Amino acid sequence: MLKVYAALPPRKRIGILAIILGILAAIIGAPENSTTASVNIKELSMTAGKNVNTVTVQELSNWIIQGKMDYRLVDLRTEADYEEYNIPSSECVSMSSLTNSELMRNEKIILYSDDDIIASQAWFILKSDGYHSVSILKKGMEAWKNEIVFPSCNCGEHSTAELKQLHDKKAEIAKFFGGAMQAVDGSNSAVKKDLPKLKAPKKVVLKTSRKKPAREGC
Amino acid sequence: MTAPFFKFGYFNDEVSLIVAFILGLAFGFLFERGGFGSGRMLAAQFYFTDMRVFKVMFTAITTAMIGLFYLSWIGFLDLSLVYFGETFLLPQVVGGLILGVGFVVGGYCPGTSSVAISTGKIDAIVYAIGGLFGIFVFGEAFPYISDFFYSTPMGRVTLPELFGIDHGIILLLVIMLAIAGFTAADWGEKFMASKKEGK
Repeated sequence: MLKVYAALPPRKRIGILAIILGILAAIIGAPENSTTASVNIKELSMTAGKNVNTVTVQELSNWIIQGKMDYRLVDLRTEADYEEYNIPSSECVSMSSLTNSELMRNEKIILYSDDDIIASQAWFILKSDGYHSVSILKKGMEAWKNEIVFPSCNCGEHSTAELKQLHDKKAEIAKFFGGAMQAVDGSNSAVKKDLPKLKAPKKVVLKTSRKKPAREGC
Repeated sequence: MTAPFFKFGYFNDEVSLIVAFILGLAFGFLFERGGFGSGRMLAAQFYFTDMRVFKVMFTAITTAMIGLFYLSWIGFLDLSLVYFGETFLLPQVVGGLILGVGFVVGGYCPGTSSVAISTGKIDAIVYAIGGLFGIFVFGEAFPYISDFFYSTPMGRVTLPELFGIDHGIILLLVIMLAIAGFTAADWGEKFMASKKEGK
């Protein structure tokens, strides 16, 4: 059989090879298997736990204020929670539709949920599916509420100028996101109870829009 | 490593220009060596006396299809990041017809005219100047034809999506079509040659 094949002229050999590859392709069906993935455990364990995979709320708030838009911010909570309040510039993607969403494998993706657990699970799913740059917003929505929108600061009037500056900066950021500084009394009373009902801040108009993809093709 | 390399940031914009330059050199060289630098050769395609253009193009398409399919299958390539343009059916049909008429009248398409310039063909230089002028006219006239330009939009659509068939089956069909086409082209060339001799 091989001898007959070898005796054929090159063009016929290439033709036969192409037909074989075509038939195999027809049996394989789709080139991408979307439900299962093989994971490089070593690589994943090396990157997991490193700080490169986390973004703090302070960093994120700075990026939003600066209008930096080179990332996709993904809200993993339920749609109802998302409707009630979400971090500006985020988009709601449910856990189950994560790999079918419009997120691209070459995009910088930042995940958040109420806490780190859901976000970590989503991180693992995306990493396994070949998404390269995936990070988690550290402590998620809890940290966003407590440190950015309604931050508390026990730097009183007698604090140093440096602390005062820090306090002012925090207050300014909180104001930007529609929140306010929470005063802390010396009595250490639970401030969280007094938190005003969290409402979505006025639509923040960012100075720069999402970077348009460069026109490609010939 | 996952392809496409540029999209995954394995090299930056500057390096991408170097990569494009090298790929362009290889492309131009092979085009010229394949005989695509001759207007006569290209025009002969339209009279069915020399089917080289058809054979080369279809071979390239089939090879690329097989390569993309299997590279994606082994997980080396992310097909969703491979760029292709959106479909605007009617304007693209009209554009294709205009290009085809220009091709058979002038003897070149935009790429082959640049290749032919490298060997100093005057007709190719004139053709390229005409092409540049056409681009200018198109740009100036664009406000008047933009409605048509964006009509019948179908978005980013592929044959497997359109017909709801697997990629693999489309691949097999295209391969069969190519082989049938090559056989018919061989037969056609012989037929045209004998007809010429008969005269």
